[in-house]
Amino acid sequence: MHHDKKFAVVNPSKMCQPMGALQALLGVKNTMPLIHGSQGCSTYMRFQLIRHFREPIEVASTSMNEKTVIYGGEFNLMKALKNITEKQSPDMIMVTSSCLTETIGDDMAGIIEKFKDANRDKELPVIIPVSTPSYVESHVEGYDRTIKALVEHLATLSVPNGKINIITGNLSPADCKQVKDLLCQLNCDSIILTDTSENLDAPLTEETLSLYSEGTSIDEIEDTANSLGTISLSKHTDSAAVFLEKKFGVKSISGPLPLGFENTDQLVTSVCELGDLEIPQSVEKDRGRLLDAMVDAHSYNFHRKVAIFGDPDFVSGITRFTAELGMIPSVVCTGTESKRFIEDVKLISKEKGINPLVLAGGDLFDMHQAIKKAGADILIGNAYGASTAKEENIPLLRVGFPIFDRLGAQRISMLGYNGGIEFVDKITNTLLDFYYDEAGYEIVDEEIEEIVGEEGDEGFEEDFMAKEEI
Amino acid sequence: MEPVIETFESRKKHMCVKGEGISIPVCDKASLPGTVTQRTCVFGGARIVLMPITDSIHLVHGPIGCAACTWDIRGSKSSREDLYKKGCSTDLQEKDIVFGGEKKLFETVLELYNIYKPGAIFVYATCVSGVIGDDIKAVCKKAEDLTRCKVIPVQSEGFQNHNKTKGHWIGGDALLDYVIGTKEPEETTPFDINIVGEFNVAGDLWGIKPLLEEMGVNIISAISGDSHADEIAQAHRAKLNIVQCQKSSNYVARKMEKKYGIPFIKVNFFGLEQTTNSLREIADFFGDQEMIQRTEKIIERGLKGVEDETREYRKRLEGKTVALYVGGNKAWSLVRAFEELGMNVMMSGTKNGIKEDYERIKEVVQDGTIIVDDANSTELARLLKKYRPNLLISGAKEKYISLKLSIPFCDFNHDRISAFAGFKGFVSFAKEVDASVSSPVFNLASKTLSKVSKTPSNLGGDENAS
Repeated sequence: MHHDKKFAVVNPSKMCQPMGALQALLGVKNTMPLIHGSQGCSTYMRFQLIRHFREPIEVASTSMNEKTVIYGGEFNLMKALKNITEKQSPDMIMVTSSCLTETIGDDMAGIIEKFKDANRDKELPVIIPVSTPSYVESHVEGYDRTIKALVEHLATLSVPNGKINIITGNLSPADCKQVKDLLCQLNCDSIILTDTSENLDAPLTEETLSLYSEGTSIDEIEDTANSLGTISLSKHTDSAAVFLEKKFGVKSISGPLPLGFENTDQLVTSVCELGDLEIPQSVEKDRGRLLDAMVDAHSYNFHRKVAIFGDPDFVSGITRFTAELGMIPSVVCTGTESKRFIEDVKLISKEKGINPLVLAGGDLFDMHQAIKKAGADILIGNAYGASTAKEENIPLLRVGFPIFDRLGAQRISMLGYNGGIEFVDKITNTLLDFYYDEAGYEIVDEEIEEIVGEEGDEGFEEDFMAKEEI
Repeated sequence: MEPVIETFESRKKHMCVKGEGISIPVCDKASLPGTVTQRTCVFGGARIVLMPITDSIHLVHGPIGCAACTWDIRGSKSSREDLYKKGCSTDLQEKDIVFGGEKKLFETVLELYNIYKPGAIFVYATCVSGVIGDDIKAVCKKAEDLTRCKVIPVQSEGFQNHNKTKGHWIGGDALLDYVIGTKEPEETTPFDINIVGEFNVAGDLWGIKPLLEEMGVNIISAISGDSHADEIAQAHRAKLNIVQCQKSSNYVARKMEKKYGIPFIKVNFFGLEQTTNSLREIADFFGDQEMIQRTEKIIERGLKGVEDETREYRKRLEGKTVALYVGGNKAWSLVRAFEELGMNVMMSGTKNGIKEDYERIKEVVQDGTIIVDDANSTELARLLKKYRPNLLISGAKEKYISLKLSIPFCDFNHDRISAFAGFKGFVSFAKEVDASVSSPVFNLASKTLSKVSKTPSNLGGDENAS
């Protein structure tokens, strides 16, 4: 069944800007995120975050209702700031707007100033507004804007610190830890923007219940102005790095996400160049282990077709990584409309001789149509891919956000050499489970032969299904 | 009087203890801005009432977030279509906000109709489509005229009210105004009924339906679990409505009584006593002697074996305490079922309760039970810390607050995995409660390693149970 679909979104593969803001803020120490909007915004976003991370998630709401919509949200926002300050005493409150308060035109910065004026005698937390209208772009840009707002308000020039700022993009806590471990191995002092590794994978104790007690501190964010450079792991979250470069001359490097062999090499090289560091033996060894894992696995995953969806840098990273393994990325889809993503995939396609269908700004309906056209032996993406995988009778390797139907989403790691090893094992074992019998022999039937049979190296076709402007 | 826990001045009266002075908390007020409320919005309220209609498209007219965070979250099972599980949105963009989203909505409805040929298309208004003033009623009418498919406006702007109960009513109004009464059944019987307010979460309806069918009643429609729009269209010909979720659906039943003269009775299929009472009441309503006799047989057969099958669980659960913090109906409807397991409900509360709900809670709980309204996450954590029940019954948002405190937890909301309704459901219910309350993992918690190494006898102790 194929019908033209230009307007409708069916099964979204993106979320809204405030969700991206939350994903960034959950890695900031003692910070209360406050969504200026209806209750549903904070509650439903918390719901998604909670069932993915399996942690309590605190997000306050200004609880707008009909009356406050008519008269503006000043009263509710002032009241919310007062209540949070008095009862939670956070180091920082970050106020993110919603489509509702953007549309009625609330001046959040003005209201915050008014609140500060009215409380001159009191010790207040740092309060920062960020504009995140839900009807513009997606959660990826919401994340980017939030990190930028943090450094814009806080970064202060003092003495050089010899550190490297790392903007992570939306990573699993385990991947955030992979990055930190790699930097530690490289003897690189760093400031992680933002560090979700502890807050979103917290031990079972009562102390981890209320505010986020771990993560990047305000002092660290202030200090970002004095670093040697900023590396944005995600190319789509580099606005803060660009800002720091322009204002304070902190050198900026944008991407790629250290996903796979070559991308991780690139991060290691960037870090070592920026920090004037030697590559230690232990890192060489890990790199060799990843290569060893890739070689061990190659005969199982070679020329398997793979469809990938999720956040743009994630998808392009997995595209490169699976191509490094000799797999054939056949469909690559991100919900975000991004030229950089398309350029990335073009480059990878040229280098690796692959020819995937590319969807930038597509939903999972579009992706499913593309899979029907291009074929796939395995689907990689979040839990929302389950029904597509089931219909196509292919396995789903769950990565990304949200994953609510399996345990351990917070522990999935793919980044760096060590995370890469986990990924190679996982994808290959998924294929083994699905396509091989209990003794490890391939189950050969006509269908599978047919899929493996075709091979295309005719250069990159301009067959983009990037969503048209409407 | 001592406040139940430390909180904001204005929140103190939202909590009380039955038997000590006031026994109904202050309720149905806007949540305090700046707290981490467990409430959702009016849109969410409407959506959960309608979403179980399986052959329909549920289209959210708004920016992507409203749809992206709420699709396929109902946990309602379907025996037929799965169209209701699709996440559909008009994905409003900035220029739609400026110039209006009506054209985009119209085109989207047509596309979805062409792709899926659904039983109906429900169009939900969100905060922003309300603020920019899109006339979704007019668009739906135009699309319906063109497609001849039911295109139903649901006027559910999220900010309309602090209480999502209003959303339940709006969802009900969409059915009353645009669906119910639009089709005549091919044949009718003297025993036609609708099951109202049963959403088939985890398959609950399937625990009830066979019992009713065996009694000899004819189910025209379930509103709205595992239903088709077409079946609900014929609901006006029922002789009786039975109402399971009285929080969300008394409204629909009352209105149907007024408009079509269909009487309704409140039923409850959670727990043995309530299941048998409900079955008897339905049989008594029809007054048919054969049906009454058949019903007694069904009850006899249903109860047979339940005691044996639950004995082991009840042995472990006897005397344990439960706290309920739920959407509404369950705050009173589950109390007796827990007592049948030998457990004591020591706290009950709801997120969106109105006075009527708290009256019913007060009726069924023992003296000394804490009753709370709209507790935010900090308050909930404090209540759990202070009173340490052996089990919390709530939804996904509360789950990890409870578990971080090493308090066993059962989901009784959208994420529930087993059906609890009816006789068989009671056995599953006992099993699931036992699996949480009796798990040894909770005995390992709350000990730091240094403490353990000093007093190794602490391992496996039952400090938490006290």
